[in-house]
Amino acid sequence: MIRANAWGSFATSSLIAGIVIWSFGTTEVEPDRLLSAGPRIAEFISRMFPPDFSVMPQIIKGSTETLRIAILGTLGAVILSLPLGILAAETMTPAAVYRAVRALLALIRAIPLILVAMLMVGAVGLGPLPGIIAVAFHATGMLGKFYAEAIDNVSRAPVDALESAGAGPLLRLRYAVWPQMAPVVARDTIFRFELNLRESLVLGIVGAGGIGFYIQTYVRSFQYDKAASVTLAVVLMVLVIEALNVALRRRLA
Amino acid sequence: MSTVVDIAELSFHHSGENDAGPALTDITLSVSAGEAVALLGPSGAGKTTLLTLLDGRLRDWRGHARVLGVVLAPGNAPPREARADVGFIFQEFALVERSSVARNVLNGRLGRTDTWRALCGLLNKEDSMAAVRAMTEAGIADLADRRVDSLSGGQRQRVAIARCLAQEPRLILADEPVSSLDPVRAEDILELITSASRARGSTTVFSSHQPDLARRFASRVIGLRGGCVVFDRPTDALTNDEIAELYRESAAPQPRVPVPLRLVL
Repeated sequence: MIRANAWGSFATSSLIAGIVIWSFGTTEVEPDRLLSAGPRIAEFISRMFPPDFSVMPQIIKGSTETLRIAILGTLGAVILSLPLGILAAETMTPAAVYRAVRALLALIRAIPLILVAMLMVGAVGLGPLPGIIAVAFHATGMLGKFYAEAIDNVSRAPVDALESAGAGPLLRLRYAVWPQMAPVVARDTIFRFELNLRESLVLGIVGAGGIGFYIQTYVRSFQYDKAASVTLAVVLMVLVIEALNVALRRRLA
Repeated sequence: MSTVVDIAELSFHHSGENDAGPALTDITLSVSAGEAVALLGPSGAGKTTLLTLLDGRLRDWRGHARVLGVVLAPGNAPPREARADVGFIFQEFALVERSSVARNVLNGRLGRTDTWRALCGLLNKEDSMAAVRAMTEAGIADLADRRVDSLSGGQRQRVAIARCLAQEPRLILADEPVSSLDPVRAEDILELITSASRARGSTTVFSSHQPDLARRFASRVIGLRGGCVVFDRPTDALTNDEIAELYRESAAPQPRVPVPLRLVL
């Protein structure tokens, strides 16, 4: 038995080592190129300083657009996730239906946001609209699943108590199920909004609106000092939203 | 006196994963209006299952059951008005933890109000009056705005009782209302339930495994063991031997195997 285990772990280590060696072989990671990269990166960074804040109007325009995409995208995801969440809930829906809906949600989650955004740009043209649609679609994959879990985790006893008192299904949903799941839904939604904001920062790169457009423009035109200001603004925005979310989630605990 | 509960040849068995409590075997009993009946018996005797059946929430049983004139069918829930007429006090209280005391008590009114009005949170005068009366009776009027998850166990139980009373039920079913309480509080709670029931001219059926309390607060005691009725007596006629026999330590109760007639003859 012990011998077999030793062989097993040796086989596992060999496999992992093999995979790593294979990865090096298939990309152009050459030692001299890696060594000369140091000074190049240093030079690149030096060109970012001092950051050029003359692009403040563009930063504000871009980041408000990103914020709007994240808000409307989250709203769209909430609207889609409420019915899908109910349909994906084990305790609400027949097995055949909830399994199918869960599979659909997993499929949606598996498609990266940037890919959805590129398809949407193709479908509805440039601008924030394809970004909003892409965020709403992509986020539904996660939010619908979370909502379904929130429904399934509801304690059964108060629902039975309301049934016993004569409340119909709608009233049971409103007064026994909803009060239990509301804080979970709020927490999940805020969490997904934060992710939406982070992920939609890059949407502009494929033409789907927001601050990503300026990052791409400045980097492509070698204006690294301006790109640096945009990067700083992005970092600041993410930190602020994160802090706000932490505060909000604490209140919902 | 009119009959409130009338059940005959009632049986219930577990089917597969359906874990709804102990089985019931061939139960026949009736309860008249205004009675206070105690279901006595050891854990697993089928007390909760029987109460759940009377509340119209048990499925897949066999036999005949009529509660407050409504015939129960094993396949589907009784109509809304019928469910509102039967109040149930849950052993684990079954309250909505994040809602206020008042909201939980008002939940007892949901079977009596128009669905759409109730969905919008509109209260009519009757609802609020019934809720206030029930909270006052249960001694929790001053807790109305508190959230249930901030209350003690004893306070929660009073909220559960107030929710049932707000329902203005004609039949009150209480599942082990005093199992977790010390003797003094147990008496207070049973006094509260039985006197509130009397004040409404309602009928009470409560389960317990404390014979002394059952004797004090019930006019009639039904002994259940292994899903069968062992005795059914007015409280005065109940003997200590019968109670001892009910709680006798043994494995399963002796199944009453009918002897084939041919062997007897």
